[in-house]
Amino acid sequence: MKFWAIRVGSILLAVLVSYGIGMVAQGSSGTVSRLIALAGLYVTLAVSLNLINGITGQFSIGHAAFYQVGSYTAAFLASQLLARGTINNLGTPIPWVLAAVGIAIVTSGIAGFLIGLPSLRLRGDYLAIVTLGFGEILRIIIQNTPQLGGSYGINSPKAFVVPYVWMLAFLCIGACRNLLQTAHGLSFLSVREDEVASGAMGVNVTRVKVAAFVLGSAFAGAAGALLTFNEGFINVNSFTMDVSFIILTMVVLGGTGSITGSIIAALALFTLPEFLRDAPPMPLNAVLGTLAGVALLVGTIRLALDQKKLGRDFLTPKTYMGFGIAAVGGVIVSILANFLPALANRTIPSAELRMVIFSAVLVIMMLLRPQGIFGHREFGLGSIFKRAQA
Amino acid sequence: MSEPILELRNATIQFGGLVAVDNVSFEIQKGELFGLIGPNGAGKTTCFNMVTGVYKPTGGDIIFKGQRINGIPPFKVAKLGIARTFQNIRLFGALSVLENVVIGGFLRNRTNIFSSLGYMPGAIKETERLRENAMALLEVMDLADEAHGRSSDLPYGKQRRLEIARAMATQPDLLLLDEPAAGMNPQESEDLMNTVRKLRDDFGKTVLLIEHDMKFVMNLCERMVVLDHGEEIARGVPAEIRNHPEVIKAYLGEAC
Repeated sequence: MKFWAIRVGSILLAVLVSYGIGMVAQGSSGTVSRLIALAGLYVTLAVSLNLINGITGQFSIGHAAFYQVGSYTAAFLASQLLARGTINNLGTPIPWVLAAVGIAIVTSGIAGFLIGLPSLRLRGDYLAIVTLGFGEILRIIIQNTPQLGGSYGINSPKAFVVPYVWMLAFLCIGACRNLLQTAHGLSFLSVREDEVASGAMGVNVTRVKVAAFVLGSAFAGAAGALLTFNEGFINVNSFTMDVSFIILTMVVLGGTGSITGSIIAALALFTLPEFLRDAPPMPLNAVLGTLAGVALLVGTIRLALDQKKLGRDFLTPKTYMGFGIAAVGGVIVSILANFLPALANRTIPSAELRMVIFSAVLVIMMLLRPQGIFGHREFGLGSIFKRAQA
Repeated sequence: MSEPILELRNATIQFGGLVAVDNVSFEIQKGELFGLIGPNGAGKTTCFNMVTGVYKPTGGDIIFKGQRINGIPPFKVAKLGIARTFQNIRLFGALSVLENVVIGGFLRNRTNIFSSLGYMPGAIKETERLRENAMALLEVMDLADEAHGRSSDLPYGKQRRLEIARAMATQPDLLLLDEPAAGMNPQESEDLMNTVRKLRDDFGKTVLLIEHDMKFVMNLCERMVVLDHGEEIARGVPAEIRNHPEVIKAYLGEAC
């Protein structure tokens, strides 16, 4: 009885919160409303990629491809319906939206299955190249297919999908969380930990990997379909390699395997560029100086951490000297940059700094905390995300 | 004599020009403690890999409970009832001790993935059942106190015992132990010997083990086969092996 009370209660709560977010979005400006939807989509994308990369341990870096499959499936369906007059330009009715999402789940699931198959033979870097290649090939094929709008894109009547976006996000989080509560989820983790041992213990490694790909892609596809109706227009530029890398960064930053880590990193990394958008342009030499300073600082901390591992003090005079060198080095680089004609007196728009910050953050993470912010652990929230057997 | 539980018939495996296991034949009866010994590089672990499906034999047959199992993938071999441990410990390091054993029991899981994704009562019950079985096995292997610790944090000897517990969780008929006593101190290997005997006597398992520690093998195993350079050089009960000239030569070299 208590079990079903909790079950129904949590589903109701998720639905209510989704509608609540939807009401907030409806009450705010078009831009903000769009951002609220996109944030939810990125949460879904990050959590679903975490299922493939973090939980099952496959190195897939082409998640935008499945997002794209879902998005184009929905856009194509909507454009067909529009052509037949089933729906009009004013907006897509929600039942049609949900039907399109359902079909997008199927098509992107199939795409995930096809990409999951080579993953049976490929590991690590090689799988990464295949998934990355798949994303690029797909994007270029669509760009050259006039029936799919070519490089122009496809128009589809909009719909207000914010509540559904967040319901999808909660569904994805819930599914991953549930999986890890059961023995099934442990078989996924065992593939990440040691494929050979996993097979020897009777885990069908092939099936687990393909299942992870199909599930992860299906969620990404559903997110793509909702993106279509949220934007009302899509083209291939929404699914470049950049998008794949941003999703990957979210997973790595959050700590591979940690669901809560992925959620928090997705929200943080999605919000960051939006704050940067309104900031004034930055002088180039200051940016370079800061980067140089940060690089020296990170190097110092890394060396100091290694010392600490050897049982020595973290804050030795040498460490302080390193901090000093980092500060002075940063200033020197920014001054020197002003002497180079190519770099002097240049500014870069803050919005463009996004990629610089993303890559810097990734490098810093690799040096100081390779396991991600949360490592394999889950963040707070009582015992909701804690694995039952751990 | 009844039908053997495991039979190798002229099993051969060749990697390019190297014949790693050459025409090896032996039979293991149900309930036996059987040893596979030999110097480094003799092909013992390769034999294990053939039996468990990691390698497909290039010649000969492997018969388990009357069924030919050449080239069957490892997870199916595990389902048929052969479980193994690894020479270089292969635990699921980031997972807890208990989780490692739960995964071992997972192959007898009857629920599908959708019931797990939906956290349905069936999946919860099944997980709970596997968890209880795992806990019971940890009791047997004397690891219950560490159940919730990270498996990679266990001391070496306990990691080896955990590997056995994990293999036992698959409910095998035949247990393959690859150097279970490696790196253990005399007290630990004494305890291990008693545990392995218990697995046979109380749980009815058949055990095939590879071991370098002669004292361990001679005290534990009832029969054994000695390999050298992929070929069988001797077989018999411990007393015969101990004084077998070929075995002494293989282990100690020609001059002795």
